[in-house]
Amino acid sequence: MASTLKVNSPELMHSQPAPLKARPHWVTTYQFWMMLPALLLLATLTLYPFFYLIYMSFTKVSLIGGISFNWVGGKNWLNALNDPGLRQSWWLTLVYFVSTVGLELVFGVAVALLVYELVWGRNLILSLLLMPMFIAPVVVGLIGEFMLDPVHGLYSWMLRVTSLSDGNILGHGPSAFAAVVLMDVWEWTPLITLITLAGLTALPLDLLEAASIDGASYFQRLVHVVAPLCLGVVTVALLIRAMDAIRDFAIILITTNGGPADATKTVPIRLYETAFRFFNLGYAAAIGLTMLVVSIFLATAFLETLRSRQLIK
Amino acid sequence: MTPMKPFTKKAFAYLLALFVVLWTVVPIVWMVISAFKPSNDLYDPNPFKGFQPTLSHFQGLFSGANSLWSYLRNSLLAASISTFISVVFGMFAGYGLARSHFAGKKHLSFWIISTRMAPIAAVIVPLYVVFRSFHLLNSIQGLVIAYLTFNLPFAIWLYNAFFAELPIALEEAARIDGASRLRTFFYIAVPLVTPGTLTITILCFIFAWNDYAFAATFTGPGTQTIPIAATQLMTQTGLDWGKLMTIGVVTVLPMIFVGLVVRRWLVQGLTLGAVK
Repeated sequence: MASTLKVNSPELMHSQPAPLKARPHWVTTYQFWMMLPALLLLATLTLYPFFYLIYMSFTKVSLIGGISFNWVGGKNWLNALNDPGLRQSWWLTLVYFVSTVGLELVFGVAVALLVYELVWGRNLILSLLLMPMFIAPVVVGLIGEFMLDPVHGLYSWMLRVTSLSDGNILGHGPSAFAAVVLMDVWEWTPLITLITLAGLTALPLDLLEAASIDGASYFQRLVHVVAPLCLGVVTVALLIRAMDAIRDFAIILITTNGGPADATKTVPIRLYETAFRFFNLGYAAAIGLTMLVVSIFLATAFLETLRSRQLIK
Repeated sequence: MTPMKPFTKKAFAYLLALFVVLWTVVPIVWMVISAFKPSNDLYDPNPFKGFQPTLSHFQGLFSGANSLWSYLRNSLLAASISTFISVVFGMFAGYGLARSHFAGKKHLSFWIISTRMAPIAAVIVPLYVVFRSFHLLNSIQGLVIAYLTFNLPFAIWLYNAFFAELPIALEEAARIDGASRLRTFFYIAVPLVTPGTLTITILCFIFAWNDYAFAATFTGPGTQTIPIAATQLMTQTGLDWGKLMTIGVVTVLPMIFVGLVVRRWLVQGLTLGAVK
């Protein structure tokens, strides 16, 4: 006690001059107080359900007469490991993910290179091309289903007239899967185009001209000048799209809802069905946590890539 | 290979562009046309048969007991309230984050953005149980909370990116002239990120407006949003494509319009500030 009193005595305090610019304690900074409300709100909105999700994955949730949780240990997790249907869904999800994001990347970059070459009407064409990405995914599904309606659909009519198909696209597994992939590609290719085009327009023109004067062909310029300079931007586009591709599942939910015969039953569709059709919420929680872990892995890769390229602070 | 003549090359580029534009635009145009097509022409086997445009689908949807107005109102309410809260909270937090340097900043920003990237299906399950115990199912408040889970982190992160770009010297000058922290924030920093505010507001609104899964799970009679009106038509009487495409038009056209308004800042917005 005595020593503490001594520290507080005026002589001792003056004997050690305070540093000229004392770093304020973090609680007293304005930055902290500006962040606090939003962070508290976000923590309440996300952490509470997150811990709930973890708890639920170890229980059997009953919704009859209020909610009750019965501890079942690792049963849901064992089920998730041993369920052949779920394993099939993971494969489908992987194929769906790789084919949608892959096609969007290839088409998106190609369309960006094309629009970059246009002079007349470039703004109008770009505006037209961007429209799909503002459309609610559920409406994309609706339009897709309408275009592919076996009797009244425009696209199925075209397929019938050219005898490429009997027109019942969503009725057969492989064509239904291709259809939901193409609906996603239709909606999200513009995103890749938009981002890549931003990278292209930021290119120094004199570099391209110099390469051109030196006799480089279009493809030589593409490979040796444009590609190295735009790689960062295209990576951002790819990662942004990948993150969102994992999030949403409305297109499949509205069009095929996993069918026909589970041909389009990706993990989110199976999860949704497990939770809200069979009301097996504990098992759904285990699947949900697995998805969350996968998406966190992707998010980490995403942010590390951006940081290593100094694209974000 | 002989090099192509400039004119041939140009014509080829525009031909390709035409093809891409058609692939993109035809479904949208077809949706709009079908919304004005009488039902009997809609179900004609020949899709290109001429028809007399009609407003009957719009009239049918916007009148009567279960009219689209209430769905429209719910969509507007849920989307605008969640957008407003996200923008206000996000503005303060984004500024605080952009102007602070501390050891755990990297982890804090990772946590913020990872909440935006969480799969919807994984978020719905615990929220459903939480909402059920707090009696938030079938309420606009519940929907607003659900939309905040993705719009709030988006707004914080994007405001952080926009504020981080402002030269700090402007704010320092205002501080030296005697302005308080809050005054500097409101009179210097906030006006300078107006394009950011516009972009964040519109994107948050579109994200919430376009949601289907949350609304389909959490809402009931009286609180359903427009996309749900479409799915109700799908289960009731087979597929009434005229009405369904009309709902599509009502849902989609305002969003395309506001989306194209912020086209200039869209890249920065959609890449979370990583590309300008």
